[in-house]
Amino acid sequence: MKNRYYASIRKKILISMILVPVVPFILCLGLGYHYFTTSLETSTIASLKRIVSDHRQMIESFLTERTNDLEFILHATPFADLKRPETLLRVFNNLQARSGAFLDLGVFDADGRHVAYHGPYELKSKDYGGEAWFQRTMTEGIYISDIFLGYRRVPHFIIAVSTEENGRRWAIRATIDTHYFTKLVEMVRIGKTGEAYLLNADGVLQTRQRSGRELMQQPLDQVAYPDAPSSIRTYLARDATGERFLYATTWLKDKGWLLVIRQEKADAFRSLNAAVYGIVLISIIGLGAIVAVAFYVTGRIVHKMKAMDTEKESLNQQLIRAQRLAELGEMAAGFAHEINNPLQIIRSEQALMDLNFGELKEAGMLAPSETLEEIDDAMAQIKLQVERCAGITQAILKFGRQNEPKLQNVDLRSFIPQITGMVAKKASVNGIEIVQDIAESTPPIHGDPGQLQQVLLNLLNNAMDAVMQLHGPAGGSITIGAAPFNGGQARIMVGDNGCGIESENMKKIFSPFFTTKPVGKGTGLGLSVCYGIIHAMGGSMAVDSMPNCGSTFSIVLPPAAS
Amino acid sequence: MEQMKMMLVDDEERFLATTQKLLQKKGYDVLVAAGGKEALEILEKKIIHVVVLDVKMPGMDGLQTLKEIKTRFPLVEVIMLTGHATVESAVDGLKSGATDYLMKPTGLEELIQKAEEAFEKWRRMEEKIRLATSKKYMKSPREILREAK
Repeated sequence: MKNRYYASIRKKILISMILVPVVPFILCLGLGYHYFTTSLETSTIASLKRIVSDHRQMIESFLTERTNDLEFILHATPFADLKRPETLLRVFNNLQARSGAFLDLGVFDADGRHVAYHGPYELKSKDYGGEAWFQRTMTEGIYISDIFLGYRRVPHFIIAVSTEENGRRWAIRATIDTHYFTKLVEMVRIGKTGEAYLLNADGVLQTRQRSGRELMQQPLDQVAYPDAPSSIRTYLARDATGERFLYATTWLKDKGWLLVIRQEKADAFRSLNAAVYGIVLISIIGLGAIVAVAFYVTGRIVHKMKAMDTEKESLNQQLIRAQRLAELGEMAAGFAHEINNPLQIIRSEQALMDLNFGELKEAGMLAPSETLEEIDDAMAQIKLQVERCAGITQAILKFGRQNEPKLQNVDLRSFIPQITGMVAKKASVNGIEIVQDIAESTPPIHGDPGQLQQVLLNLLNNAMDAVMQLHGPAGGSITIGAAPFNGGQARIMVGDNGCGIESENMKKIFSPFFTTKPVGKGTGLGLSVCYGIIHAMGGSMAVDSMPNCGSTFSIVLPPAAS
Repeated sequence: MEQMKMMLVDDEERFLATTQKLLQKKGYDVLVAAGGKEALEILEKKIIHVVVLDVKMPGMDGLQTLKEIKTRFPLVEVIMLTGHATVESAVDGLKSGATDYLMKPTGLEELIQKAEEAFEKWRRMEEKIRLATSKKYMKSPREILREAK
């Protein structure tokens, strides 16, 4: 029952102690995470866009420059000149000096015949008149092809330009080294997994993909096209391997090629992952700390509560005991008062019998005999026992009808030695040593000096009886001490090394009529009277004892009134 | 020398009877009354020097009886007999004019001793009164003349 109560309190405190800090903690982390990731994503995407835009510009300018190179040749060298192999060689060498991207150079007449060629393939005299690229070159003036196989059965692309000379169109064509071009396009390096490639309008690879796809294949990526010709589209998608990638795509100007840059998402957002790990770590440590502190503090609180409840319980029990003692005292007093009347009569009757016997004896009517002596003895015994009863009733009345204490301030430092002095003689006769241990800092107390004297004398007498019972005429020791106690109170201790109190008697020690002394030696009221006196003064009294080791009575008295 | 006349007042008949017998055997002149009313009636009729009065009695209790005695017969010495061991009831009695108090159960010797002391007090008071009265009669002639005017 009690334990269930503590368990439920413990649960409630724990829950509130954990929830209250955890909720804002989690909210803080969550909010921080959200804004951080958003801003990081934005900046990552922005930087990707910038890279895409720069790269596009570079590729575009490469293509433009190569086209310009060819246009320059076309306009600087007449058709008849360029047809000659040595001129073509010189021009080609000049061209290669400008850019290593040129693989070969060919000259075509208006019908598409390959009239001159310099390069690694045997393409001279081939007829290109029906080829789409030639026709477009002738009509549009400039043509840049997609990658194709052509006669040489090797993937390549060409730049062709045409011009009109003396009424006849002619054209030159150069092949661009796909390795060179691929390197140029690939040159983009972002993170570990970043790569760039070009697609033509049909979605066919125009440059090699570093991650494995070759020229003229279809990439394994899902490619999303930008909405407007010069805009950049960014998106997240899985490729065929299932890896998530961040993509950016844009169209090259004047050419139906799509520049694609992609990077593994994990790579692109690596710093984001670092932040996530940090947040997870902080959460674990923070939550752990909160839970640990909650458990520790709750444990402390529940422990404190238990201690306080126990203290309350024992105070309650003390109160109940004091109340019971008071009731008992009232009852005993009434009883004693009623007993006194019959005692008075017995006493008078006994006196009358005594007197009458005396007269009879004097008159010689009773001869001395054993019987007469017995009667005399019996009479004396009646008188003695009535006296004893009187002693008991008077003690009871003292206990039950306690005088209102006349309270005044008492300085224990001088008061206790006076009382010790009263029993010093009796103690020294019985070989008992009395030790005084009175702290100089003992504060004055509020009490009735007369009654306090009665209590201390009672305790000292009990202590002397106890040590004499255990040690006989030598070896006894009694300590009487005083010291400051909680909140200005003072505590008096009377300890002895006597016979002690059996544990089964500890509970009854302050009850009236409880005594361990032989019949006729004690009324069993001394300690209960002491208890009543100390309580009436607003103090408290307790005992601690070990059989055959000794007992210590402690009295706590309230502080002096100012 | 005048003989002490005592009266015992208590509601315990047996106590009255036995104590009266005992005191008579010791040579004292003792009357008894079983209650406050009866005691006052006896005081009206007879001369009593010392009253031993029980505090707790049915009807008119000891303290009431004491006050009545002290107003009507101020010279009578009263000893309170109390079953209470407390000083308070005795103090109340002393404040109301009792000479002394005894605690039950009391011995015969104790009773006689206190009674003798009370009687001694009564006698001293009586002496003073007699002296004062005789002085009144032995006035100077001038005074008598003045009074005659």
